[in-house]
Amino acid sequence: MLKVNDLGYWYDRQENSLFEHVNLEFKSGNSYAIVGQSGSGKTTFLSLLAGLDKPRAGQIEMNGEPINKIGLTNYRKSKVAIVFQSYNLLTYMSPLDNLMTAMAITKSEHRGDKEFAIKMLRQLGLTDDQMKKNVQRLSGGQQQRVAIARTMVCDAKLVVADEPTGNLDEENTKYVIEQFQKIAHEQKKCVIIVTHEPDVAAACDHSYRLEKHQFVEET
Amino acid sequence: MNFFKRAWLNLTAKKGRSVLLVLVTSAIMLFVLAGLLIRNAADTATTNAKNSVGATVTLSANREAAFKKMRSSTSTSKSSKPKLTTSPVKLSDATKIAKLSNVASYNATVSTSANATGFSAISTSSSTDTGMKGMGGSTSSGSGDIAITGVTTTSSVSTFESSSSKITKGRGITASDEGTNNVVIESELAKEDSLSVGDTIKLKGTTGDKKTYTMKIVGVYKASSSASTQQGPGSTDVSNSVYTSYTFANTVKGSKYKNTADSVTFEISDPAKVSAVKTSGNKLISTSKYSLTTDDSSYQTVKSSMDNVKSFADKIVWLVAIAGTIILALIVILMIRERRYEIGVLLSLGESRWKIVAQFFMEMVMVLIVSVVLAGFGGKFVGNKLGDQLVSQQTTTATTSTTSTSQGQPGGTGGGGAPSGNTGGSKPSGNMPSGRGQGQIGSTSTNATAKTDLDINVTVMDLVELGGFGLAIMFLSIMLASGGILRLQPKKVLID
Repeated sequence: MLKVNDLGYWYDRQENSLFEHVNLEFKSGNSYAIVGQSGSGKTTFLSLLAGLDKPRAGQIEMNGEPINKIGLTNYRKSKVAIVFQSYNLLTYMSPLDNLMTAMAITKSEHRGDKEFAIKMLRQLGLTDDQMKKNVQRLSGGQQQRVAIARTMVCDAKLVVADEPTGNLDEENTKYVIEQFQKIAHEQKKCVIIVTHEPDVAAACDHSYRLEKHQFVEET
Repeated sequence: MNFFKRAWLNLTAKKGRSVLLVLVTSAIMLFVLAGLLIRNAADTATTNAKNSVGATVTLSANREAAFKKMRSSTSTSKSSKPKLTTSPVKLSDATKIAKLSNVASYNATVSTSANATGFSAISTSSSTDTGMKGMGGSTSSGSGDIAITGVTTTSSVSTFESSSSKITKGRGITASDEGTNNVVIESELAKEDSLSVGDTIKLKGTTGDKKTYTMKIVGVYKASSSASTQQGPGSTDVSNSVYTSYTFANTVKGSKYKNTADSVTFEISDPAKVSAVKTSGNKLISTSKYSLTTDDSSYQTVKSSMDNVKSFADKIVWLVAIAGTIILALIVILMIRERRYEIGVLLSLGESRWKIVAQFFMEMVMVLIVSVVLAGFGGKFVGNKLGDQLVSQQTTTATTSTTSTSQGQPGGTGGGGAPSGNTGGSKPSGNMPSGRGQGQIGSTSTNATAKTDLDINVTVMDLVELGGFGLAIMFLSIMLASGGILRLQPKKVLID
């Protein structure tokens, strides 16, 4: 589904590259963990997969088509859904409006379907009262559930998450991991999670460690 | 159209910021509206002035030609004393001119004097009877103690038009008084001699057959206090001025003056056509004997005053619009910086940049709609205050300028030497007795002042125009500020 060919990224000089000549393939229905030390470049790698930045070398293909050909905005709109550590919800909206907005922007097949959005939020444990409140009034765990629900209402087949459990307690972490597994296995999407938590990495189907500028699969 | 909803949600969620934006925008819109209202009101006032102040063309003896003739006769016969001979205007000529298009009406003026018989004229210690006798072209008029101004109608006399003279009892002279001995006297004279409407007085001519005429008082007028201070040569007090029909004044002057007038003033319906009427009129008269002079000074004064107001209002509109654009652009730039995170989230969802700009624009348009309504309520008040101040300044300038011009030219405004003494004021219908030169200094500006009150009203069209200005301001502000959105990289906002 997603293929990384000879990928390289550096900020100022190529000699100081975060990673180079990376070749990886990510498949639908699987979950992947990217682990590594802080500053190793795993979040940068994720931002390239999410179409938030352009690689310095190599290319990323989505179903055989380079994402720069799709166009990064189009790619983000229709091919990928992103979950951030800090949730990145629209703070002036309710959870329900956040989902409705995401559905409208991504032109989801469910766009405008309020019942579907409510169903997804209920599925993630939000009450009817909570889904109409401003998102800032929800706890961190609840906000992350809204962010996950947002990925579920969009049609994107690729879900990338950057430290999605970074701000959550143990119980919420477990719940979020379960949800990502469901997205991968039940919705047959490709889930790629950047994490520094071994439990999260262990829960994923595959785990890659970014070490010495290269990705090494952990068994 | 999702950005409409996002704009609405943002405005309603952040009420404090939205209220502040509405207040700032309302203040800007208020001043733009005030400027627009003043400009439109100045336009209307100019149009109204065109219709109401009008302009005049006066037919009178050609003094220049008469002087030339006098000088040439002096050079040929040095023994005889030089004599200035002017011809009274024939009413038949006036009738021809009156038929021209754009001539609304005309007023014949004949000035003469007579002596009071059986009642006392007001005597003044400063009254002199020297110099400039005959000023006003009534060379044949004598120097009686009662000044007679024969007119077609008193309502066309400039002092009555400008309300410096007012009918207080009875009525003024009208066209129906032609051929009658009806008279309108001044209130002080009436009081002094216990005269009232319906009473009769007797006047004895000083020229011609010096006959005594019995006059019926049909009205009493009150002259302005400033008019009573006149010190014209050969004058008596202004209270001794009476108005009659021009036919009676001609009768007093003598039979040879029948169907003539010292001057005839034509009111022109459209001041812009004054020159055309003059040109056409000159073809109908003997220009060696008569001359046509134009006077649209009242209109020009109002126009100039209103042009200044309009120009200032234009400056207000543009200055506020430019300042408003800058202020709003700075606010939007700050707002965008504050909302980088939100923009990053939208970009990460795949929202296009122009739709994010459109969302900000929609938010400002929603703010604008509320602000235009608020400005609509306050605009009339601010416009009135500002407009009054501007008009007051402009009128003061115009009055000062008119007065200084008049004072700078002896007799320049209805003063000595002017044919028939009737070039003063906006309606030079011979409103002063012959030879008395009631200057009426500043009467032009008095007229102008009366006509230049701005009628400031907020109409739907004003609000539409304001909305247009507001939209342009908002658009420019957003465009100036949107550089930040267009350059923003979501990775930098959301991840770095």
